[in-house]
Amino acid sequence: IQYERVGADVTMKCGSMDWDAAVTWTVNGTDIDESHLNGSYLVLKNVGLSQSGQYSCYEGSSWHLKYQTYLRVGTPPKEPVLMCRSNNYPKGFYCSWHLPTPTYINNTFNISVIHGTKDMVCERDAIPKNRCHIRYLQLFSTVKYKVTLTVTNALGKNFTTLTFDEFAIVKPDPPESVVAKPVPNNPRRLEVSWQNPSSWPDPESFPLKFFLRYRPLILDQWQHVELSDGTSHTITDAYAGKEYIIQVAAKDSDIGTWSDWSVAVHATPWTEEPKHLTTEAQITETTSASTSSFMAPPTTKICDKGAVVGS
Amino acid sequence: MAAAESPSTALRRRDLCSRGIRLAGKMRADVVDLLDAYVEQQGLDASASVAAVEGVPLAAVERWDEQTGTQRLLENLAAYRAFRALLAQMLEEQREQLGEADVGLGRALAAVLLQVSAFAYHLEELLRLESRGIPGEEEEEDGPPPPPRLSLFEQKLRGLGVLRELAQWAVRSVRDLRQLTKPSPATGAAPGLAESP
Repeated sequence: IQYERVGADVTMKCGSMDWDAAVTWTVNGTDIDESHLNGSYLVLKNVGLSQSGQYSCYEGSSWHLKYQTYLRVGTPPKEPVLMCRSNNYPKGFYCSWHLPTPTYINNTFNISVIHGTKDMVCERDAIPKNRCHIRYLQLFSTVKYKVTLTVTNALGKNFTTLTFDEFAIVKPDPPESVVAKPVPNNPRRLEVSWQNPSSWPDPESFPLKFFLRYRPLILDQWQHVELSDGTSHTITDAYAGKEYIIQVAAKDSDIGTWSDWSVAVHATPWTEEPKHLTTEAQITETTSASTSSFMAPPTTKICDKGAVVGS
Repeated sequence: MAAAESPSTALRRRDLCSRGIRLAGKMRADVVDLLDAYVEQQGLDASASVAAVEGVPLAAVERWDEQTGTQRLLENLAAYRAFRALLAQMLEEQREQLGEADVGLGRALAAVLLQVSAFAYHLEELLRLESRGIPGEEEEEDGPPPPPRLSLFEQKLRGLGVLRELAQWAVRSVRDLRQLTKPSPATGAAPGLAESP
């Protein structure tokens, strides 16, 4: 295989044939126009990705194959993007990486993890391939971890290094199984419950605290509440009859950073079932319903009988 | 197998542990603030790597989850006694270097020293609860041998190392004390110190 950089000028000789020998060049079995030939040499200017392929040279009269190569056009690797994180503290942490731009040819990644003077093994995950994980041999260490990722391909090499403290990369996965339910007979309450992320190994010794955010769909402003223990909370200031969107995030109680937000769940507080009204009552009901409008949190109860639940 | 704990001892222990967790949590917050102020005031680089300083107890531990309760308490106690002496030394050096130039830092150092002493006493109480002799009390009077005379810069680096390790120890102590309050899988009751991993 012959590797060349995008934009390079490439010259191929027809094996041992003289410069002035009569030859024919093909790419992927198709004849190449003579304008690309300089004597028996094939000259490709400013090669592009599309010019990757199998190039063959045949002696003019006998059609003997004199030369064949596979041309792979690509780029040397740019500095890789590396990220390390512990979502299962204190078991260990994982590092994952990607290249900011494709190289169009095969790349080899090599990662080294050093803790103080100790080399640590980064066990590759089968899937995804660009990830490996490291087991903490020591906890509560002030010695920093140094992770170096080197990427190599036929056209070049690059690397990136991360240095961090054990605590700094602790970031749990979002809470799971978030459920929000109305509370019967309580038009301003919603009951929210969730579970610790299943990836967090020992919530008892390493308890998580949580951050709940919620807002009615019709507003942009979130309301937040931080909860230092337990995996449920009752919202008591919901706007009656309005559909809410709710999310939860988690963090180790003592160290690290907040998880991403959980999947959003929706819920609408309990509303009174509309009673079976006589015709006269219905008429007065309909006229009062059409004039009601949405207002800031009511201190006195506003019955919005006109609205149909869930419309 | 140690005799099962009496309910009152278990209750007392749980109370001491939860108060200890709060104390260690507060101590950690104060130490982190002190560390920031110390780095700035001493003109140090916050990301500087500091080699292990002799006499400073390292919080780093292997197979932490396999330690027994007694091991946890004894290692904690030894560490906080050492920090008590180290912080007292730092306070003295602080006053020598700066006199009253930076009262704030001195006061913060003294406050942390007080918390460390209180926490050490708390650990001793927990050990007494388990009718375990408090180690090394006899040497307590004369305290550890005075550290060698260091240059000003060496003193600063050692101070950085002390505060960094202390911040890590505070987190470790919170985890250790939580382990002590964990019910043992078999009985569901809090195990005696000797057994509790």
